[in-house]
Amino acid sequence: MTVTTEAGPEFSLPEDIGELPAVKHWLEAQARHWNRSQEEADRRRKLDTLRSFCVIQQIDPDALVRSLFRPTPEGPRIKLKRRRIVMEQIAEFEAKAREETQDVRRARDTGNVVRSFLIHNGVAMSAPVVR
Amino acid sequence: MEFKQVVGLRRSIRYYVPYRPVERAKVQTVLEAARLCSQAINQPWARAIVVYRDEMPEADREALKVPTTTAQLDMAPVWIFWYGDPSAPQTAQKSLKQLVDIGALNPSHGWSHSYVDDVIWPQVLQPIAGDQATLLAVTAVEAGLAICQALLTAVDEGLGTQITAFNSAKAKEILKPADHLIPLWVQLLGYAAEDREGGGVRPRAPFEELYFEGQYGHPFERDDAVVDKLKKEGMIMPEAPYKWRRDEVLALARQFGLPE
Repeated sequence: MTVTTEAGPEFSLPEDIGELPAVKHWLEAQARHWNRSQEEADRRRKLDTLRSFCVIQQIDPDALVRSLFRPTPEGPRIKLKRRRIVMEQIAEFEAKAREETQDVRRARDTGNVVRSFLIHNGVAMSAPVVR
Repeated sequence: MEFKQVVGLRRSIRYYVPYRPVERAKVQTVLEAARLCSQAINQPWARAIVVYRDEMPEADREALKVPTTTAQLDMAPVWIFWYGDPSAPQTAQKSLKQLVDIGALNPSHGWSHSYVDDVIWPQVLQPIAGDQATLLAVTAVEAGLAICQALLTAVDEGLGTQITAFNSAKAKEILKPADHLIPLWVQLLGYAAEDREGGGVRPRAPFEELYFEGQYGHPFERDDAVVDKLKKEGMIMPEAPYKWRRDEVLALARQFGLPE
């Protein structure tokens, strides 16, 4: 699937991003961790949300994960500055959802989809606590 | 609480009730316990800086986090930054003679002012103070004793608590600890939002692999009768995970808007 964005040149993502290795890993790891099978509607919602984030950032999910690690002789190491940038991007993504929905919880769910994708791919992050 | 129950119930709590403050008296009680810990040469090896989450600018709060210390800092209303003080031996000559004077170190065990001045100070303490590796190890162990008492006392006070990492470089800018202090841990205090048993006792290495009798490698054999007694007294509690733990954590994540 090819998406044209206002931000720049054409950017393409596969029709079903659920088959991309990092996405597949996320969905499987998350279902395994919580010991719950994924309902199709929930799976679709998560994939659509992740797709939206990736389109905004002009990066595919696998590349997003790769961009957060640097190879070293001892194995991959997290890029902390890049992590902070991505965390800010997620916060902006969530803020935009908040503007659109006027619903803090729904917006948080939106941001948390991307956070969850990264967490289950080895990038530790959290979200500000909703009090 | 009974001491054994305090030991048994202590967990690293990672979900706190974010809106419930901790009484200042309880914070003081935790610090009082730390002050009374066992301390080599009767010198204080630990320093603590108490910070109230809601009194800190958001930028400072964020700066103090590390990747593994995130949501729990947002949730816990009180943070105690613990530091080790490697300068403790510098005044040990005086403190050891004080122990002689009050009858803690006695001639029956070979202690006297002369022994402190002529032997212990020049031959033991000054070399330790000059050996950075030994000094750091001793500082960390001794400060750890204070932190342990602070942890257990927090449990006894009905609080959730945990020690975790923090960004020590940022803490240096924000909290302004003395230059010679060594950053160790931040201890969180708050009321637990999760069950205080934290889903059960975390996995521990087998007893016999850790403790030996007579010689290293000869296990200290565990007496099941003692284990049963400690279970009854609440020191040895059921192991994690409790059946409902995942559901609890999922519910907490949703309550606080945290990722799954």
